[in-house]
Amino acid sequence: MTSPVIKYVGRTTNFKGKTLWEIVGSLKNLGVGRIIVRSVFERYPEPSFMKIVKVETCPDEERRRVRVWVEKTFRGRKLPNLTEIYRTSYKPDYKLVPKNEEAKLLASVTKEHNFPDVILPRTIEMPPLMKQFIVKDHEKKGLEIMKEYVMPLSYNHSPNRVHRIANPGEKPTVQFTMGLGKPVSPSLYEGVPLN
Amino acid sequence: MISQQSLLKRTWPMVVQCAEAHRKPRWVPVAKSKIYRIPKRPEVSEEERLELLRINNNYKTQMRAIRRFFHEEMIKEKSTKDSASSEMSLRLEAQEWERCVELNEKWNAQVALEREERRKQELIKMEEYALERMEAKDKELEERIKKASEQIRKQKEIAATFITPETLDAAIEHALANPVDYNFAIDLQGNQFLGRDTPIPQKNLDKKPPSV
Repeated sequence: MTSPVIKYVGRTTNFKGKTLWEIVGSLKNLGVGRIIVRSVFERYPEPSFMKIVKVETCPDEERRRVRVWVEKTFRGRKLPNLTEIYRTSYKPDYKLVPKNEEAKLLASVTKEHNFPDVILPRTIEMPPLMKQFIVKDHEKKGLEIMKEYVMPLSYNHSPNRVHRIANPGEKPTVQFTMGLGKPVSPSLYEGVPLN
Repeated sequence: MISQQSLLKRTWPMVVQCAEAHRKPRWVPVAKSKIYRIPKRPEVSEEERLELLRINNNYKTQMRAIRRFFHEEMIKEKSTKDSASSEMSLRLEAQEWERCVELNEKWNAQVALEREERRKQELIKMEEYALERMEAKDKELEERIKKASEQIRKQKEIAATFITPETLDAAIEHALANPVDYNFAIDLQGNQFLGRDTPIPQKNLDKKPPSV
């Protein structure tokens, strides 16, 4: 008996692992209490993993999905609330942590995170053309003329955020500008004057 | 020579086409011959990836700030406009309303004048039309009477010759005395010979028929 050879054809992905239902559906008690890892989050130096708390199966129309509540630890920091995974549960990117490695993973959380403390600014300076436009526009509408050409910045709210947004009056550690900024890889800009 | 493998693993299709009218519709699936053509994954160097990530993140942050600024400004402007409208615009609105009413009355008067004139014209036209029709009707009636009277006169004239019970015997006698025979014969020259028993003169038979 030769086992049938399965050859997958198609584009490659960044994902690595199984869908959540493939993991959870084959475990005892639907894997409550087990630890799973999303391989996309493994790029960070700090441990990121999720402990399954509750599992709800889905109707037949959504057979690739499953509704799972997890205690999430992201970049070495445990989130205060439970996280529901439903929309992303179909992604073949989850891995189950074997029981003998769970203790090691949990132990690695205790140390402090090693990324620098970044405080994000609350405001950004306007682009040069917009400054002039705003002056003329306010004159036309009879509003008071601005003295500081700054705009408030808005950030997406996510429980995963590791950078803190500055409190009013606090000095941020990074500053966003309207220009090109400092390139990460200067080799791409060889022979280009950056000013 | 390009190898088969490199052809199959190319990133872009062989022929790059524009999305024009002759393109295959979006919902049509991949052609059978192209199912196993798997495009090669684009290779982006780490440096480039990081730089593009940084630039795109910067751009998104800047655009978010600008969008938020204008959105807030729009809301502010709207609220000021609304609050201003509560007092100022009440008076302005009343003035506007008065102006509108005045204009409307002016227009109404003008239209009424025009309507009166038009009505008069229409009335005159209608009268003319009615008169015309009445005249035409009169004329027709007259003509009919004339025709009828003419016919009566004719019939009265003819009535003298009618056969009545009194004149019936005389008429029968007259008819018997003058029998009428409508039969006739015709020869080649087109001469008519009335009557059934009329003898036909023989001289024409001797002559030769005229040569045509």
